[in-house]
Amino acid sequence: MTINLLQDKGTPLGRQTVAWKDMVGKPISKLDDDAFTRVRAILMNGLELDSLRTKQVALRMNADARVQLAQLMRVEQHQATTINWLIGADHSPLETTIGYEQTAIEVTASVAQLEPDPYLAQGYRYALLEDFDHLYRYSALLDRLEGKDANNITQGYTDIVPARPTWEHHRAPEHDLLQPYGPDAALSTQLHALTLTGGEYQTHDYYMNIGPLFADPLARQLYAEIASVESQHITHYGSMLNPHETPLEKLLISEACEVWNYAGCAAQETNPRIRAIWERFLDYELGHLQVALQLFKDLERRDPAEVLGDGLLPRFIEFQSQRGFVRHVVEKETQLRKRDTEFVDESEEGASSLTYRTTVNASGSPSRNASATWTWSPGTELVRDAEAFKEAA
Amino acid sequence: MQPTTTGENRTGAATAEEGVRAMLDANERWAPPGPIDTTLAEADRGVYIIESDALGSVPPPVTIQGMLKSGLNKLMGERPEMLMDKIGERIAFERTGTRLYDALILKYEILAESDNAPALPNPLDGAEEDVGATLQRIRTEEQAHFLMLSEVMRSLGGDPTAQTPCADATATASMGIMQVVTDPRTTLAQSLNAMLIAELADNAGWELLIALAQEAGQTDMVEMFENAMAEEQEHLATIKGWLTALVTAGSTATTVAA
Repeated sequence: MTINLLQDKGTPLGRQTVAWKDMVGKPISKLDDDAFTRVRAILMNGLELDSLRTKQVALRMNADARVQLAQLMRVEQHQATTINWLIGADHSPLETTIGYEQTAIEVTASVAQLEPDPYLAQGYRYALLEDFDHLYRYSALLDRLEGKDANNITQGYTDIVPARPTWEHHRAPEHDLLQPYGPDAALSTQLHALTLTGGEYQTHDYYMNIGPLFADPLARQLYAEIASVESQHITHYGSMLNPHETPLEKLLISEACEVWNYAGCAAQETNPRIRAIWERFLDYELGHLQVALQLFKDLERRDPAEVLGDGLLPRFIEFQSQRGFVRHVVEKETQLRKRDTEFVDESEEGASSLTYRTTVNASGSPSRNASATWTWSPGTELVRDAEAFKEAA
Repeated sequence: MQPTTTGENRTGAATAEEGVRAMLDANERWAPPGPIDTTLAEADRGVYIIESDALGSVPPPVTIQGMLKSGLNKLMGERPEMLMDKIGERIAFERTGTRLYDALILKYEILAESDNAPALPNPLDGAEEDVGATLQRIRTEEQAHFLMLSEVMRSLGGDPTAQTPCADATATASMGIMQVVTDPRTTLAQSLNAMLIAELADNAGWELLIALAQEAGQTDMVEMFENAMAEEQEHLATIKGWLTALVTAGSTATTVAA
């Protein structure tokens, strides 16, 4: 089905209802569902939460749009609940974390290849290497703390090896910023940046909530450290967004972003029950877009085509292993660092980042301590340990 | 809840052989296996272990008068806080245990109302009590233990509604048990397996409490605790028997509930 943002009406807002039982339906199976079903659930929860965030900001800045924004937010809230509650209770917080990092890696790698702006594509590849390293550090923790194999979550789709080491992700704030896309940016560029910003926001907030739930002091430290990096990533991706867009323009892009992502999920979902959710919510988002289009026309007196172009959706994020691309980036770009808004060799990194890094790593590095000498092994490190034990005997 | 069947489980290295081979190739390039050394993590955790504060404290007796009346000073011996703490732990455990049985009873009753009710053996030789009644009785006994312990705590001048450090630690340990039993997806056998952990811990907990009471020379208390312990031993045997029946090959209940 070809969707046109300017023509397809979807489900009218007034007919969008979600009962508690719809929100709290059957979760996905951690054991039997495909890892990319979980990836899509995590991604779309992030998108929904970011759409709520965008609307809350718009609410504070638009006296004439308050009622419509409040109505939209009620439905978005319940959509977010429906999606987030798909994660079953048999996921430990650390297992869910592995799912979050896999989502970040595979989605960012796909976006980096879709992005038409070479500078922003570099930005995606840059942070990709950091989330890729986070997966390795958290996988080490999952193995050594809970005795679990991260690959039972990632299902062979994603390599679990180090990249740019997490202890080098810590930059001075001024070096987290990127140049934003301009007013003439392609719609795909706008949707990519917003998708990643929402995803990182969600990851950050998740780590901030579950970090204190761990008893183990090293786990508490690792979550503190990586939550800080995810906060940097919110700035990294958030600074890609054109700061001159009006709040209602951002609302329009946000709704278009949800339509685009739901359509991509519906097109690629393998679990029929979950695909029905994506299709239903795709129709809901088209309905939301109608409200946003009307507000844009009525209050800004502007043509939505200025923002949405011909209304055709850009190519979807590809929900499949991006192993080859990721390896290429690890091979070629791990040594890159940031200086202001530019990507430079590590020898030219912004000086204030070095000072900052020395300060936060002064009493040791949680990511280094948690993963020292760790290598992913099928069935956990204890299998490798046992083999060495046998050889010695 | 659906029965456990063979299906499309996607975990494990064997279900994604190609991906796992690629992962091992990536290891060779970026994380070649070497000697395992976790001393950095251990040193870091060690510092926290040394520097950490306690979970909290044992509440002081509510009334000095109550203490004197019950002969608490004599009873408590050299470590008065330990007996209070462990009684507090059992109070909390029995209270949570009652709620665990509430969840288990509901799961069983829903199954029993279906056409595929699990056929569980009667745990008591010669008794006529059915499974539902047995579950209800165990639940009642757990609650009775909680109420009895609350009275004991009051008689010692303590507050049975307070949460002692051991009660807190045990409640943390029990969180997973509750997650398993209340998950609508888990089978009766999986729920019973979780209950087995609770009953084993409960039995050991009562043994310890009896030893503490004996040490303090409190014969009345020892007798009450031994009665409770006898019931807990029967709970343990019952749960173990049901679990064995459900998971043993040939059980008529296995396909439904295991």
